[in-house]
Amino acid sequence: MLLLPKFDYLEPENMRSALELMASLKSNAKIIAGGTDIIVNMKKGIISPKHLVSLVKVKELFGLEQRKKGIVIGSHVIVSELAESNLLWKNYSLIAKAASVLGSPLVRNRATIGGNIVTARPAADLPPALMAVGAKVELKSKKGRREVALDEFFLGPGKTVIRPDEILTKIILNELPPFSGGDYIKLGHRKALEIAIVAVASRVTLDKPQGIIKNVRIMLSAVAPQVIHAVSAEKILMNEKPTDKLIERAATLAMQDCRPISDIRGGAEYRKEIVKVLTKRTLANAVKEVNRKKVKSER
Amino acid sequence: MKKMITLFVNDKEYEIAVLPNRTLTQVLREDLSLLGTKEGCGLGDCGACTVILDGRPVNSCLVLAVQANGSQITTIEGVAEGQSLHPVQQAFVDHGAIQCGFCTPGMILSAKSLLEKNAHPTELEVREALSGNLCRCTGYQKIVEAVQTAAKTMKKTSGRKRG
Repeated sequence: MLLLPKFDYLEPENMRSALELMASLKSNAKIIAGGTDIIVNMKKGIISPKHLVSLVKVKELFGLEQRKKGIVIGSHVIVSELAESNLLWKNYSLIAKAASVLGSPLVRNRATIGGNIVTARPAADLPPALMAVGAKVELKSKKGRREVALDEFFLGPGKTVIRPDEILTKIILNELPPFSGGDYIKLGHRKALEIAIVAVASRVTLDKPQGIIKNVRIMLSAVAPQVIHAVSAEKILMNEKPTDKLIERAATLAMQDCRPISDIRGGAEYRKEIVKVLTKRTLANAVKEVNRKKVKSER
Repeated sequence: MKKMITLFVNDKEYEIAVLPNRTLTQVLREDLSLLGTKEGCGLGDCGACTVILDGRPVNSCLVLAVQANGSQITTIEGVAEGQSLHPVQQAFVDHGAIQCGFCTPGMILSAKSLLEKNAHPTELEVREALSGNLCRCTGYQKIVEAVQTAAKTMKKTSGRKRG
């Protein structure tokens, strides 16, 4: 049996005392949310924090709400809730889709959106989907709050801009412009409990149904130390009609935008091929979603 | 330092003092002697430690007992009604869906949760719902068939109750 090292467990009563606590304990403390990552790492002896801080009593971290201009998700919302949310399926289907393929049902019932972000795993499911819609996170400390775009949040595997005294409190999704669609596809060796060999999240915004592309984000995951943009693929799609031929060309360019490694899950060359396939499929599905939405609203 | 917690396990209230570094699996097995919950990998991969925590099946090896304070927990011991097996348990026996039995408590709890949310699951939905529970004996086919049979039995009995 794998045993946990000793630590002290704290449950601050509200956000203010949580922030005080993090300010005084700093690197000696880690926040435990769902525990699906931190408990594994502690059992394996990779980390051994002196204090675990649970924010279970800080109610404001558990909401998933529609705001005037978008959706705000508390950092402690569990992944199952994202996968079950009609609000997300309607407005940001790629995020709900990414949530529905994370880990296993048992993991999804504990793992949280904030946890999937702060652990900064190169193959995590939610960050690419969130980045494709330009998500921001709110970080709070005793000294104040700041908002950071996820694009600028990750520094490398396991490394982020979050300071030891800060708490990731919410994820902010700004309302997407009309005629937007997206998709997330992960390739794994099996269908559950899988870490991506490659995953791609794409989001397009057209000027009108069947129109030209006004904005596009293609996020490639598990092919670099952190999630990256397929920069040249995004570039040739701008202000063009998303024809099959153009999507094919963009997908080929996406292969050159990534620098995968060979490891136990797949070779670098294979990963590049898959980047092409998944870029093509996610883009085509994203465009389809725009046109499908339009049909619905006309009814 | 030990913390006092309250757990509601299979509709029974327990007040216990636990060290923060003990998992829910450990406390259920060692303090409450509920040995039906198994520990397999201890890392959230195998699902042998599955319990239903506040309505959702979870890996109890990845839950600190202190985190479960105040929660409602169902373990395999709380599934049967008196002497009669739950329809999912009965179907597992009838279909030979149990071989060594180590994964069975977790399988049954995941299946029970599924059927409470979705009374008519497709084969794919059954496989998906059980995807966090690994079985090294059966090859899954008999387990999936057992869950589908249980779905039918449960429908019949609930229909009878209503009528």
